[in-house]
Amino acid sequence: MMTELNQASSKNAQPVAQTQVAKVPVNVLIVGVGGQGVIMVSKVLASLCQQQGYEVKQSEVHGMAKRGGSVFSHVRFGEKVYSPTIPVGQADVLVALEWAEGLRWLPYLKPETGIFIADTQKIVPPFACRDRKHGAANGYAKETVADISQMISNCYAADAGTTAAELGNARAANTLLLGMLSTTLDFPESEWRDIISKFVPPKTIDINMQAFDQGREWVERYDPAALAQGQAEAGSVAQQPHQVQFELPVITEAWCKSCDICVKFCPERCLSLNENQVAELTKPELCTLCRICERLCPDFAISLNYKH
Amino acid sequence: MSEVDSKFNIRDYLREHMFPHFLCPGCGHGIALRALLWAIDELEIPKDKLAFVSGIGCSGRLGAYIDSNTFHVTHGRPLAFATGLKLARPDLEVIVITGDGDCLAIGGNHLIHACRRNLNITCMMLNNEVYGMTGGQVSPTTSSNRFTTTTPHGNYEPVFDACKLAEAAGAGMVGREITLQTPALKNVLKEGLSHNGFSFVEVMSDCTEVFGRKNELGDSAEMVLTQKSSVRPDGYDNTVEQPFRPNFLKTGVMARNDRPEYAAAYRQHIMSMKEG
Repeated sequence: MMTELNQASSKNAQPVAQTQVAKVPVNVLIVGVGGQGVIMVSKVLASLCQQQGYEVKQSEVHGMAKRGGSVFSHVRFGEKVYSPTIPVGQADVLVALEWAEGLRWLPYLKPETGIFIADTQKIVPPFACRDRKHGAANGYAKETVADISQMISNCYAADAGTTAAELGNARAANTLLLGMLSTTLDFPESEWRDIISKFVPPKTIDINMQAFDQGREWVERYDPAALAQGQAEAGSVAQQPHQVQFELPVITEAWCKSCDICVKFCPERCLSLNENQVAELTKPELCTLCRICERLCPDFAISLNYKH
Repeated sequence: MSEVDSKFNIRDYLREHMFPHFLCPGCGHGIALRALLWAIDELEIPKDKLAFVSGIGCSGRLGAYIDSNTFHVTHGRPLAFATGLKLARPDLEVIVITGDGDCLAIGGNHLIHACRRNLNITCMMLNNEVYGMTGGQVSPTTSSNRFTTTTPHGNYEPVFDACKLAEAAGAGMVGREITLQTPALKNVLKEGLSHNGFSFVEVMSDCTEVFGRKNELGDSAEMVLTQKSSVRPDGYDNTVEQPFRPNFLKTGVMARNDRPEYAAAYRQHIMSMKEG
């Protein structure tokens, strides 16, 4: 029965599931980076399902919030739910609040029929930054929205973060995704609005309602062909390029008092004391021009001159 | 423009013929001086509109290295001299560089009254917890149980919280920062320089040769790094419901009030007398 319903849904933006009360539970997997609001989104969904008279089981990993780690929340609802967790390849909807996290959890999505809702904003984790040089390539996922939409029939990838920031509150991105999610589940729109208003801070209800509308509009405008051609690119990382170019640190030997601060604070270990106990740039190729040595030199012996 | 892109070159502000300076290796005062000059550079105050007044002690010598108008005055009295200077020449940006002993012990009274008057002066107090230049005697800010030459069994005197004192005395702006966080220190000093009124900035510096050696606090790099674990940054109280570092020193801009500035009120009074 579920298969039929899901096949129906895969055509375009049809509700996934429960026009008739689902005998098999509907699985929604919500993933993101700690602190984004994964738990909030899943709470909204779970309480809505509960209100609609379904049995809901929710299971989550939290506590990574302060570390920027991976956070997920399984929400299963239906007439009768036994297990709180979703097996691999069984999620009807995967909601990703961050692009790479969404890719990480893709195997959980039902092949062929699963709907992938993702925010294309990128949060680069520290361990993906293998080279600390400014503007250097990082180990972040290389897959673009176009790549993924070729693999998955229902890939709703919107730059929710930027849209929400334009509305006035970047955190409303979650509500935008909820708006997109609301089109895939067969619950009345007013109920969604009621429940979101209860969960968001009272001052932000207006912005959140606008974000919810934008999410629904996005799905209405959804055009898989455009996505596959890569017209909607993944959100770019907010990183300003260097405006000023600097040369390598120059050390005035006569001023250096060999206090060792620059040697010990250099993150790349490219300074050391020579036989005269004077700081020396021994590994200039490792220097990332972070300017910590210049800033912390109490003798003003290190300076980085900018290129004219 | 971020701190990494800053075009600030400290040598534009130094009397290079006097270098290398007299401070011990690893002394935090140099970093504090850089932050002060950096703040001035960002505010684009011309050099001939600046006046540095410094007292006696390691901190007092810093004034000598700045290529600007500098005054090296008697012990504990830089604020008194600065008061006179500011009243006579209100167009100058008067900056006082002083130390913990200079400012809180010998010149404690001047500090209170400078705060009370609320003249447009910026006072940078370098707190290294000791009288470094005279051989490491106990100062009003020496932490409890620390060894100095005059407290060979550990210090039992309670510590002076200079920022609370300045705030209570009515300083226009009160801030505190550590030397390790140089950009943050620069920002606090910038706030102080642009505030119209008395601004008091306490800089947690380190004395490696005298205080650090006597208390076995490690080398200079270690002492600079330890500063970070001894303070509670600004905004911490707002982000965490129950701060787990309640007893640590708070940093950042800590107090601010908009009392009238004294020099302006004084000038106005003189003008009204002349007219009358």
